[in-house]
Amino acid sequence: MKKAMRPAKREQLLGTLYSFPMGIWFTVFFTVPLAIIILYSFMKRGLYGGVEKAFTLEAYRQMINPSFAKVLVRTLWISMLSTILCVLIAIPVGYAMAKSRHQTLLLFLIIIPFWTNSLIRIYAWISILSTEGFLNSLLIRLGIVKEGLHLIYNNGSVILVLVYMYLPFAILPLFTTIDKFDFFLLDAARDLGATKLESIVKVMFPNIKSGLSTAFIFTFIPIFGAYTVPLLVGGKDSTMIGNIIVDQVSKTRNWPLASAFSMILTLVSLIGVFWMLASAQKEATGKKQNTLQAYEQKVKAHHGRSRR
Amino acid sequence: MNHHTYSKKKRPSFSNTMLILTILFLFVPLFVVTFFSFNSAKGMQWEHASLIWYKTLIFDSPSLWLAFRNSIIIALTSSVTATVLGSLAAIGITWYRFKGRSYITTISYLPMVLPEVIIGISMLIFFSSVKIRLGMFTIFVAHTTFNLPFVFMMVQARLDEFDYSTIEAARDLGANERQALVKVVIPAIMPAILSSFLMCTTMSLEDFVITFFVSGPGSGTLPLYVYSMIRYGVSPVINALSFVMILGTMLIAFTFRRFLKTAAASA
Amino acid sequence: MKHIRLFLIVLLVGLLCFTLISCNRSSKSADKLYLYNWTYYTPDELVAKFKKETGIEIIIDNFASNEEMFAKVMAGGAEGYDIIFPSSDYTSIMINHDLVQELDHSLLPNLKYISPTVVEKADYDPGLKYHVPYFMGSSGIAVNTSRVPFEYERTWAIFADQRMAGRMTFLDDMREVMGAALKHLGYSGNTTDERELDEATALIIDEWKPNIVKFDSESFGKAFSRGEFWVVHSYPENVFAELPEEMWENVDFFIPPEGGMMYIDNMVIPKGAKNVENAHKFMNFIHDPKNYAVFLDEFDFPPTTNTGAEKYMENDAFFFTDKDLVNSDLNDDLGEHLDLYNARWQKIRYEH
Repeated sequence: MKKAMRPAKREQLLGTLYSFPMGIWFTVFFTVPLAIIILYSFMKRGLYGGVEKAFTLEAYRQMINPSFAKVLVRTLWISMLSTILCVLIAIPVGYAMAKSRHQTLLLFLIIIPFWTNSLIRIYAWISILSTEGFLNSLLIRLGIVKEGLHLIYNNGSVILVLVYMYLPFAILPLFTTIDKFDFFLLDAARDLGATKLESIVKVMFPNIKSGLSTAFIFTFIPIFGAYTVPLLVGGKDSTMIGNIIVDQVSKTRNWPLASAFSMILTLVSLIGVFWMLASAQKEATGKKQNTLQAYEQKVKAHHGRSRR
Repeated sequence: MNHHTYSKKKRPSFSNTMLILTILFLFVPLFVVTFFSFNSAKGMQWEHASLIWYKTLIFDSPSLWLAFRNSIIIALTSSVTATVLGSLAAIGITWYRFKGRSYITTISYLPMVLPEVIIGISMLIFFSSVKIRLGMFTIFVAHTTFNLPFVFMMVQARLDEFDYSTIEAARDLGANERQALVKVVIPAIMPAILSSFLMCTTMSLEDFVITFFVSGPGSGTLPLYVYSMIRYGVSPVINALSFVMILGTMLIAFTFRRFLKTAAASA
Repeated sequence: MKHIRLFLIVLLVGLLCFTLISCNRSSKSADKLYLYNWTYYTPDELVAKFKKETGIEIIIDNFASNEEMFAKVMAGGAEGYDIIFPSSDYTSIMINHDLVQELDHSLLPNLKYISPTVVEKADYDPGLKYHVPYFMGSSGIAVNTSRVPFEYERTWAIFADQRMAGRMTFLDDMREVMGAALKHLGYSGNTTDERELDEATALIIDEWKPNIVKFDSESFGKAFSRGEFWVVHSYPENVFAELPEEMWENVDFFIPPEGGMMYIDNMVIPKGAKNVENAHKFMNFIHDPKNYAVFLDEFDFPPTTNTGAEKYMENDAFFFTDKDLVNSDLNDDLGEHLDLYNARWQKIRYEH
């Protein structure tokens, strides 16, 4: 209705005027650089870095190679596992935060570590997990182990630290959506005879789908492109795609290959984002079906059947 | 919101236990760092309490302070730019239909979700191909770029909740469009603007990966300095620095505690 | 109209930020000198002394590898620097790419102190037309003898010793690691013979890699000083910088007798440098034997490069001397043949 009040031409002018600066900014400093990367991935590599202006699929051919396939597979399973762990931890945490009366304090506590320099946190984990580190000296002192355990420089430590780093990315969106959820629905479901777990899974989960997918994507994508964590706490076989990309630029000087790998990461990210947006859309349209009424009918039908 | 609990048990619930464990998990590294920052010995063995590393940090680390200065300059300039551009764009997108609207909406999503490595590399390649010298300016550009989407989203979310009839009321009372904007709209979305500014500053102060690619002569920021310290530096000074940074973060977050929820909603 | 005004205000604010930043960078560069050096390679003491003597302020940025430095140079990111410190192979690459300036020897009287061995090894620039050597050194192996109290082989074969499995690291550096394997097999560290390279690759993958915990050029010094790593393929200065002096006696540092990869780090002035005269001043300053001794003492380096410095040095126990380097090779610029190494390094690092 507000739109109808303005002549179209004026709308066009004002909208452009307001949004123009950001639009230009993104075009110049984001779209163009991405386009250059796409272009570079189809060019011949310069011997000493940079590219030569000749079209070739060489970079993509180099990518199909058992060494890189192995890294890709590793990156996928490490990111999947870490993301699932993050989301699984974040669901009860977000739930507890949403129900708490001390939301500001809890947010404060979640956000403080999140805003602390990431390198410093990684560094702290190194001093905790080292064979001569904090945790091992504690275990030895308590007499649980005799000799320091190898807790670091392997894929386990990479996953642990990744979960640590990206947990807030999962907690915050889940908290926000669960906070908007009407907890009366849960009580109602339980009045209708559902167990606590049942009511959460069947009533709450459908209503926080968008939060779940946001949490999943916002955790998965940065982990998939992780660079510092595998570099600093990983072992000899913890290389991930992010490390390969950086190595290709800063060590092997193969810019087209780095660009080609970047394309893969970008594509994976884009698919993720569109999946997230689509699921948010679906939720908006399908929300009405997930109301209490629908559930009530289901429960009644169920009980009705079992009683007879 | 009415938090009606169905049944009250004495035993702490599963979700509360998880919450407490998670917060402990998140804080463990911070405690460890703080603890060792007061250790007089260089290694992991505790000797006795000492402030020697704080002394080194404050009086004997000129390049650290230079990096800190660079970080602050970049955090402030990029946050101001991002906040202004992002808020304006959010107003434009929410209230007007125009050509290019969907392009801007889509493009503003992407920098937020693309892995940092990609943004860093694409910017490095871009700056090199248009022959812009790497330095403070390129870091400023990069930081503004990754900050903009957050401002845009947060302000837009706030505008969506905004009751448009208040503007109509203001207009009916004789305010012109600019007055309505300055006197009604901007105060109403101020919490979103402030919290996005806060987000930008912290993200900019924290960023390592993107800065690593686009930094040049004399433009090293604090995270870059921390990185070189982790590689080769004397470790206890890092601990002291970390504790100071943790305190700083707490101070910022405490000052802006009212806006934490808005900030959380956008992340 | 009003909106246009608002738009202009925004634009103005943006421009203000812009100029603020650019002013900050370009102001009064006459008394400045921008160095692009390896991490921790420029002693603070000399920086301060240089400023006191000449009034020139030194601003240093660091890189961790030649490749990182060169990527920045190619990306135009090195334009602001007055002196860059590439290793020998990259010095020759930069000379061949016409990226560096010819030096004015009349401003560099202290070149007379540069060791003839170094000048001889620097076959990529005879007569030092474009570069001044900074330091000749080598990577080697550091062993923590308090953790490894038993006899071990003092050659590259130490990495095949399973008693230290999970406690050893290699540098994350293709030429260093492959060079070590090549030298151990008795080949040149710059070979382009595929059979020799395959043999070296197999040696690393089958014998050495199973025993190492990590390829690490980042934090081996710290982890070694903590006792986490016992045997590290490393640069001695990084290792000893992290160790308290009372622990030095527990460290056995050696360059394997079969030789390894050595390096000469050089100083060059990139084309387009703004403070060419200051750059010459610094190059000459550093090779004043008194100053050079400060540099060597700071990192406990042996006097391999400057002939006058030894008598001013405080330290007289060296981790290695020029004699340890007789069998070692300098990295040559391999041009296209580098891909032979790249392909095998990929297998070593990612596949097995």
